[in-house]
Amino acid sequence: MIKFWRSSTARFITLVFGIELILAAGMTLTLRVLTRGELERDAKSYAARLTQELGPVYLKQGKEDFQKLAALRVLFSEGRATVILMVDPKGKPVAGNLQGWPPSAKLGWSEIELYRNGSGTPEQMGILVTNLPDGSRLLTGQIIENDRRLSRIVDRATGTALIFGLPLALFAAFAAVRIINARVNDIGETAKAVSAGQLSQRVWLDGSGDTFDRLAATLNAMLERIEALISELRIVTDGLAHDLRSPLTRLKVRLERAQVEDDEESLRTAITLAGEETDRLLGMLTTALQISRAEAGIGRDHFIAADLGEMIRDIAELYEPLVEDKGFAMEVATGTGPIVAMHRELIGQAIGNLIDNALKYGADSIRIATGESDGMAWVDVSDRGPGIPEDQRAEALRRFGRLDPSRTGFGAGLGLSLVGAVARLHGGTIELGDAAPGLRVRLSIPLT
Amino acid sequence: MTQKILLVEDDNTTADFIVKGLSEQGFAVDHANNGRDGLFHATDGTYDAIVLDRMLPGMDGMAVLGAIRAAGITTPVIILSALGAVEDRVAGLTAGSDDYLTKPFAFAELLARLKLLMRRATTGPVSAVETVLTCHDLEMDLLSRKVKRAGRALDLQPREFRLLEYLMRHKEQVVTRTMLLEGVWDYHFDPGTNVIDVHVSRLRKKIDGDADTTLIHTVRGAGYRLGAGE
Repeated sequence: MIKFWRSSTARFITLVFGIELILAAGMTLTLRVLTRGELERDAKSYAARLTQELGPVYLKQGKEDFQKLAALRVLFSEGRATVILMVDPKGKPVAGNLQGWPPSAKLGWSEIELYRNGSGTPEQMGILVTNLPDGSRLLTGQIIENDRRLSRIVDRATGTALIFGLPLALFAAFAAVRIINARVNDIGETAKAVSAGQLSQRVWLDGSGDTFDRLAATLNAMLERIEALISELRIVTDGLAHDLRSPLTRLKVRLERAQVEDDEESLRTAITLAGEETDRLLGMLTTALQISRAEAGIGRDHFIAADLGEMIRDIAELYEPLVEDKGFAMEVATGTGPIVAMHRELIGQAIGNLIDNALKYGADSIRIATGESDGMAWVDVSDRGPGIPEDQRAEALRRFGRLDPSRTGFGAGLGLSLVGAVARLHGGTIELGDAAPGLRVRLSIPLT
Repeated sequence: MTQKILLVEDDNTTADFIVKGLSEQGFAVDHANNGRDGLFHATDGTYDAIVLDRMLPGMDGMAVLGAIRAAGITTPVIILSALGAVEDRVAGLTAGSDDYLTKPFAFAELLARLKLLMRRATTGPVSAVETVLTCHDLEMDLLSRKVKRAGRALDLQPREFRLLEYLMRHKEQVVTRTMLLEGVWDYHFDPGTNVIDVHVSRLRKKIDGDADTTLIHTVRGAGYRLGAGE
C-alpha cells in the first residue's frame, strides 16, 4: 500500500484531486465574499439614501414632517426592516423605531446589535450615523439579521456541495488516471509481448495524433527497426554458419591430409593451402564485422572530405594490373570531384569489393564511372557478365544473400552487403541495375 | 649488440609464440602479462621496441601507452589489437604508438614492422636531402624521377616508381603486402586477392627481367625484400 502511494499513479490522483479541491474551495470562498460584499454595499447605499432624504426634511420642514416621513419609511421599506432614529442635540429622541440612542454607536457605518421598539430581543443591524448641522444626530439603517442568515445558508449549501463534491473529485481523478493508465498499459503490454518474443506486436493507435498516439507511433517505428535488426541478425547467423562451414570443412580436410603427407614439399603445400583457407575465413569475419560496425553507424566521426573521382582513379589503378592479368579491359570515366565527406577506407573497400565482384562474375570488361545527380554523388561499377535478374536484386543485397546457382562465388553476398552497409553509413544507397548486358551497381552518397 | 624487446601480452599462447619467434631472430625478449608489470618494465627505458597488446587485465594497453609516453619514453611501440577497425588504429596512433597491427597477424608481419621501427629509431627518418637511392646496380634519382639498372634506363609508371621507391627506402628489409598498401597507396583496407602481388610482379619484370642478379625477392609467408643477396 505504501508502495502504491509512492507511485506516479497515486501522485497523479492526488494532484488531480488536490486541484479539484482547491478549485471548489476557491469558488465557494469567492461566492461568499461576493455575496457578503454585495449585501453590505446594498445596505450601506440604502442607509445613505435614507439619510440624504430624511436629514434635509428635518432641517428644513421641521420635526412633524420628519416624524411622518420616518414612520412612512419604516412602514414601506422596500422589503427591508428599516431602522431610523433621530435625537436632538440633547440626546432626546425625536422620532424613530429604536429604543433610545445606542451608546456604542459611532459616526459612520457600523454593524451592531440593537433593540427595536416593542422587541424583546436584540437584532443585528447595519447603521449609518450622521451629525446634522444643528447638533442633532440621525441614525438610519436596516436589520441585517436576514442577510446573515442567507449567507449562512449559502455557506451550508456550498459546504454540503463540497462534501458531495469530494467523492466526485476523487472519482474524476481516478477516471483520468484510468484513461491514461489504459493507454500506457497498452504500450506496456505490447512491449512485454515483444520482449517475450512476439516481435511483430505493435502498439494500437487511435489515430488522434495526440501525444500518446505520437509516442505509440515512435515506439512502433522502434519496434519495426528492432524486428528488422533481429531478422537480419538471424540471416547473418544462419548465413555465417552456412558460409563458414565449407571453408572450415576444406581447412579440416587439408589439415588431415597434411597429417598423412610424408614428403616435405607436399606437407608444405598442404599447410600453405590451409593457411590460405584460414586467411579467407578471417577475411570473411573481418568483412562481417565491418558490416556490423557500419550498420551501427560507427565511423561517422571519421568522415573526411575527399575527391571521389580522384579516389576512384586511385583504386582503379590499384586493381588495374589484376584486371589486365585476368584479360579484362577497364574503362574509368571520372572527372574531378565531386568532393564528398566520406569514410575513405570504407568507401575504398566498397569500391574494391565492387571491382572484385565484377572481375569474378563479369566478362571481358569493367566500366567505372562517377557523377552527381539530385544532390547525390554516385559511382557506377558495371560488368558485362550475366547480370542479376530484377526479381533477385533485393536478395543479392542482403547480407549473405547469395544467388545460386549463377553466383556461387565465395562470400559474394558479403562483399555486396558491405557496400550496402557503407552506403547506409553515409546516408546513401546502393542500387543494382542493368548494364545491358551485365550488372551495374550504383553506390550513391549525399553531396555535402 | 642484442636488441631488447618488451612484449606486453596477457594471452600466454600468443605470447609464447611471439617470444619464441623473436628469440629465434636473435632478439632478447622480456614478457609481461599485464599492464602494470608492462609499464614497470617499460619505464626502465632500456628496450629497443615495445610490443603492446591493447586489451590487458589490470591496466588497459592504451593507458599503458599513455603512461609510457607521459614518462617521456620514446621507445617505438607497436600495438596489437583484436579491434581492427580504422577508428581504433587511428586512436592507437594518435595516442602515441608507432604502428598498429590487427590480430590475428602473421608473425612475419610483426617482425617486418618491428625491424622497420627499430631501424627508423636508430638511423632516424630518411633524410630529405637524399636524392639518389641505390641498391646493388639499381639506381633511382628522386629528382629527375629516372631509374637505371646497370646503367640502363628503365621505363616505370608513376605508381611503379613509388612502389620501387618504398622498396628501396626499405632495402634489405622484409616488407609485407599490408605495409606496401599503406606506404604506397595509403590505404588500410584489405583489397583481397593478390592485388599487391600483381603490382610487384610487374615491377619485378621491369627490374629483374633480364638481369643476372635478382633484386626483388619473395619472402615466403611474409612479403618481399629488395636486395642483392639471397
